[in-house]
Amino acid sequence: MKIEIQTQKLKEIMRKIEHIAGKHATLPVLSCILIEYNKNTAIFKATNLDVGIEVVVPIKSENSGLVAIPAHTLGAFITQLPDQSSIVSLEIEAGNVKITTPQSSGVIKTVSSEDFPTIPKISEGKEVEIDADIFVKGLKSVWYSSSVSSIKPELSSVYIYNEGEYIVFAATDSFRLAEKKVKSLKTTKISDILIPFRNIADVIRLLEIVNGTIKITISKNLVSFEKDGTYLVSRVIDGVFPDYHQIIPKSFITEAVILKQDFINALKISNIFSDKFNQVRLVIDPKKKIFNIQTKNSDIGENKTLVSAALTGESIEVNFNYKYIADCFQSIEADSISLQLSGLNKPMIIRPVSGDQTFLYIVMPMNR
Amino acid sequence: MNDYSQMWQTALIEIESAVSQANFSTWFKETRIVKELDGVVYLGVPNSFTQEWLYKKFHNSILRILRQTNDQVRALEYIIDKENNSKKEEGKRKMVSAPTISMPLHDFYINKEDNLNPRYTFESFVVGPFNELAHAASQTIVKAPGQTYNPLFIYGDPGRGKTHLIQAVGNKIKKDLPEKKVFYLTSERFCTEFFAALQENKANQFKEKYRRYDVVIMDDVQFFSGKEKFQEELFHFFNTFKDTGRQLVFSSDRHPNVIPGLEERLRSRFGTGMVVDLQELDQESRMAIVRAKCASQNITMSPEIVEIVSSSIEDNIREIEGVVNIIACQTQLKNRELNVNEIKNILKNNTRPKKMVSVKDVVRVVSDFYNIDEESIYNKTRRKEVVRPRQMIMYLLREDFGISFPSIGEKLGGRDHTTVIHSYEKVREEIKKNSLLAQEVSQLRSMI
Repeated sequence: MKIEIQTQKLKEIMRKIEHIAGKHATLPVLSCILIEYNKNTAIFKATNLDVGIEVVVPIKSENSGLVAIPAHTLGAFITQLPDQSSIVSLEIEAGNVKITTPQSSGVIKTVSSEDFPTIPKISEGKEVEIDADIFVKGLKSVWYSSSVSSIKPELSSVYIYNEGEYIVFAATDSFRLAEKKVKSLKTTKISDILIPFRNIADVIRLLEIVNGTIKITISKNLVSFEKDGTYLVSRVIDGVFPDYHQIIPKSFITEAVILKQDFINALKISNIFSDKFNQVRLVIDPKKKIFNIQTKNSDIGENKTLVSAALTGESIEVNFNYKYIADCFQSIEADSISLQLSGLNKPMIIRPVSGDQTFLYIVMPMNR
Repeated sequence: MNDYSQMWQTALIEIESAVSQANFSTWFKETRIVKELDGVVYLGVPNSFTQEWLYKKFHNSILRILRQTNDQVRALEYIIDKENNSKKEEGKRKMVSAPTISMPLHDFYINKEDNLNPRYTFESFVVGPFNELAHAASQTIVKAPGQTYNPLFIYGDPGRGKTHLIQAVGNKIKKDLPEKKVFYLTSERFCTEFFAALQENKANQFKEKYRRYDVVIMDDVQFFSGKEKFQEELFHFFNTFKDTGRQLVFSSDRHPNVIPGLEERLRSRFGTGMVVDLQELDQESRMAIVRAKCASQNITMSPEIVEIVSSSIEDNIREIEGVVNIIACQTQLKNRELNVNEIKNILKNNTRPKKMVSVKDVVRVVSDFYNIDEESIYNKTRRKEVVRPRQMIMYLLREDFGISFPSIGEKLGGRDHTTVIHSYEKVREEIKKNSLLAQEVSQLRSMI
């Protein structure tokens, strides 16, 4: 039994699916890629039981069959192939697959394909079409704010919902919150959905490869992303994302408008001297035109770094975790940002002041 | 519960011997029997993958094994188990960021289940002569929902506490009679939800949703005005609800009889229970409200200031609230009590200016309206085109501004008070007969 496939195609497939095949200790077949083939097409499948992916490609084969090949070995081999080699042929024998290219050939041990799970399909769901780039932008702008602990599943996920002409992405671990609005070009509205944080990376990676308009199907338990024969399905969280709008401060008492890069640099310097909780102290006094960042570590030393800023409002001193502040800059394209503080023990808002204003970030202070 | 887990444990021992160890730990580790109903066993699984796989590969064997332990079992269904998902990985990672204050994410400002704002309670409701009746009616309802006044219809101008009162009813019922399901919504939400349901062909689901509740509180029903399709839906909703002895509470900015564009059948239904209004705020009630707001803001105000604040805002609790908030904020900022001048300043900047209209203004507007010379109103001329506007001015001055007949006469060129009385009565009579004239009057009123 022999399959012939273009090298370029195979590389692309491996890029899409290799990382999804998990390192599953108990069930070896889960760390494999399953190839289901007939005379003209093959379906490449991989899953870690949280996410599943299928890619359909045209191939040449003499008959049909099934084979499970360890993803890591196959992937490593394929990536190293030179681009100019046009065709790869896979010869499937009992317990082995022989891979031949014009330059090199190899034999990889296969695994019994019998136990490879079915990748679920969504039978009843709401479909929506959206531009992959837009969707990726939304996810990337917020997903780092999700909770890494899965004690509260709705917090360890990204919440996506529709608001007027926008699709809104939100994530929070209850210490900080990121919200990004992107314009939806299509009239169909996305229904509320919570995608587990752990699966977001897989979704982003795939959507960055496929680009163009993708079809998203949402059901109660699953969400799928489809584009030209590629199908990715993920579990969704059946829960309610907290009503975060009520914690967004409506007003503030102190505002600092600063250059993003200045602030990042100052924070980085300060953080060298921060304690084990990464505590940085923002000291703002608009009357004296002072904005500095102070850190202190009993083992290392201490630091005070000035930031040039346009300040308004009352003077204030608040402590934050450096990491929580630093995270948000990846989502802000604007050069200047605004910090809005409402007092001790009250959240701080960070938002861009020029250009694209659809991003909002909230950080809670530290209580000492 | 214990029975189920016992049953499943026995089954699992059988299954474990039948499948490979790898398969067993991958697919069966996190399963449990959630429930059993009429011979159907519902197996809770962690995700759709397990669901599909168990169904495809092991369905028959699981069923057979379950039958061995319990011959009542007819069928097997798989459901995705929410609880199971969250247990994984628990405690594996500890948050290093312990000292950061966490967001009060779960303090829902508005309870999603019933949409009520917990802040609106009877405890924070100030009772005065203007709302005594409405308050008493609400109290009756709270004791036995659906049995006395059904529906309760509360109306009054904006800012008199309608929403507070009806939400307080909901919150109180929720507290005292927890088995009653309460739901609060605005009429606008009713319409949008119904519209969305229609579009998705789910009108039945919409109806079902509201049938679950024992008490439905609907705010601002005047917005149904002119929306016939929604009125029809509300009508049916009303009937089913009331027939089954469940309580309805409505609010509106005016009496159902004067809501324009409302179908007669709805109008009469609104009136079948109890229609009660929130009247104009009197001075004492305003003072009581100011004091209550001060107490909730933790500030103290001298009686003199309470007097000034309450007498300068006439008919809107919301405005009183706003002003008290500003005063509280400034008091905190300045760290001392504000003096009378400062309070007056705040009031000046934060209340709607009272209309100051002089006789001259009325004369100017009316003569502009009829396109005549202002002077001619004061002159002795009896030309027809001047007489009518002059009478109109006298009517408006008397009716809307309550100026005495002699002083109207004096101000309009020294006329006798009997002339004024005659003009006033003439216009008043004619308005009743002539709708065109009535329109002119209302137009003039809006211009003054």
